[in-house]
Amino acid sequence: MSFESNTARLPSGELTYRVAGDGPPVLYFHAAGGARATAGLELLARSRCIYMPVIPGFDDTPLLESVSTMRDIARLGAEFIDGVIGEPADVMGQSFGGWAAPWLALDRPDAVGLMVLECPAGFRPEGHPPPSSDPELRLKQMFAYPARRPPETRSEATLVRNREMLHRYHGAETRDAALIDRLGEIEALTLILLGTKDGRMPRESVQLLKDRLTRAFLVYVYDAAHSIETDQPERFANLVEDFLERGETFLVNQAGVPAISATA
Amino acid sequence: MKFSYTHHMPYTHVEEAGQDWPVPNKQFDPEKGVALYREYIDNKVFAEEVGFDWIGCNEHHMSPYGLMPNPNLTAAAIIERTRTAGILQSGNIVPLTNPIRIAEEYAMLDVQSGGRLIAGFMRGIPHEYVAYNVSPDDSYPRMREACELIVKCWTEPEPFGWEGEHYRFRAVSIWPRPVQQPHPRLLMSGSSPDSVSLAAEFRATIGLLRITDFESAREMKDLYTDLARKDGWEPGPEHFMVGMPCSIADTVEEAMETLRSGTRFFLGVLGGGIRTAQRLVLQKTRYYREEAHRQRFPGLAARRETPLEELMEKGLVVCGTPDMAIAQIKRAKAELGHGLMNLNIKIGNTPQSAVLRTMQALRDHVFPAVREV
Repeated sequence: MSFESNTARLPSGELTYRVAGDGPPVLYFHAAGGARATAGLELLARSRCIYMPVIPGFDDTPLLESVSTMRDIARLGAEFIDGVIGEPADVMGQSFGGWAAPWLALDRPDAVGLMVLECPAGFRPEGHPPPSSDPELRLKQMFAYPARRPPETRSEATLVRNREMLHRYHGAETRDAALIDRLGEIEALTLILLGTKDGRMPRESVQLLKDRLTRAFLVYVYDAAHSIETDQPERFANLVEDFLERGETFLVNQAGVPAISATA
Repeated sequence: MKFSYTHHMPYTHVEEAGQDWPVPNKQFDPEKGVALYREYIDNKVFAEEVGFDWIGCNEHHMSPYGLMPNPNLTAAAIIERTRTAGILQSGNIVPLTNPIRIAEEYAMLDVQSGGRLIAGFMRGIPHEYVAYNVSPDDSYPRMREACELIVKCWTEPEPFGWEGEHYRFRAVSIWPRPVQQPHPRLLMSGSSPDSVSLAAEFRATIGLLRITDFESAREMKDLYTDLARKDGWEPGPEHFMVGMPCSIADTVEEAMETLRSGTRFFLGVLGGGIRTAQRLVLQKTRYYREEAHRQRFPGLAARRETPLEELMEKGLVVCGTPDMAIAQIKRAKAELGHGLMNLNIKIGNTPQSAVLRTMQALRDHVFPAVREV
């Protein structure tokens, strides 16, 4: 399943986006690495139409003057749902993108169905140091299985610029106090994911989300680091697919999906 | 030095259990079983009075080798009759059981005992996999994942799900949570490099329970220490438990004859069926991933053939008069530097009178002399 690249004209300006798959729409906010088609997303595209806007400034796309905060990115996402998808959509966000998604659910509850937050940024506990910028350590914290990464086709300059975009959108902040204060207002049923080997995101941040969101499930994905979609694509896709398909009833086991693998 | 009392609770009213697997249970007389359970539980409770720091229970299946298919039931009975001793579960066989259930039952035991649980995570010996029809091939990855999940059950303040290779749960929030925080003390096997590596990762005490010589035990201890240091922490004596059979009497001859006789029954009668199952597992599976570990079995087999005199010479048993026992314990400590010792007194069909004799000698003579070792 390959992602196609398109362009949308939105009230805030022209926006590049990628799209793949068939089925109900999912708006996907990408991580700080840029808009990448991971193995997990490609599997998810079996049953969902995934729309992945390239957040302005990432992957060599132009900046949009009116989009300069995480909340602005959420507003841009709402424009995308209104203008391109044309109906309420489920919303996902990974890491950096998982910071924008709750703002969208908060500001435009009418546009959002279910929400999935993968190791979301923006909820770092007070006093926790920011994630390391050391390249070697960063790689280890990002991937339990670096060999599973898709081939990198972008230039080093593009990747550096992607990282610089973080400062444009949230400066040095790693904790969005205004959003945290309002998490209880979010109505969207939410699935929060964290890899058991995630070295970038402390588990206290997802515990905070689980505590504050009124309707949320927290699931740890075993043997995955920060990039769950890359480390454990099957587990990621099966879990998210089930949640998006069944909502809160995904708690109920279905025949053929044992809690303990068959040899136990 | 701290001491743990282990007792496999064998069924001793058999004369020839044979080599079949599983061992036919028509030989089990329930009336005799009632008396045995009473005697064995009484012994475990008495261990606290004797001065044992921990009282051990362990899980084995489908054999007169041990009557504790669920050691948590035994532990629950002991907890109600003791006040201070640690309750060592050595342990639940993690890959055979629903890990949520283990987390729940261990948490219950910790709360019921006021925080006295030592939570053993064991992979089990090969025949257990035949008993429960679980593929031994997956035992290592299943063990690792289950251990992580159990600890998560104890430490996670919010309801959580688990999407794993072997286990999938959508919403977990166990009641009760354990008394000990962040979680109960852990104990794992130190019988192979793989086991030691896992134990070091969890900072668990390792059990060196079937040592064939001091050198190989020291290798496992050194490996654990190296791994801990690489992870940035320093293990202490409390992270190492050495196990030995124990028989004490007024004369060395009497102590030796007791141990020799009990061992003969243990190996010849109780151990037959489980060795058959073990042979099948070793032939047909990847239960032992490392060649070095696979080669342990000739070593253990050789130990079975080793005369008691030689085992005593090597320092691998606590056997003899009280003074000899004191010297043997001190020698082992000097060799290995461990802080915990697991003594197995009820070997095979060792008579109850001999079990009590050894326990009384430990209480009156040995423990007072080795506490500060």
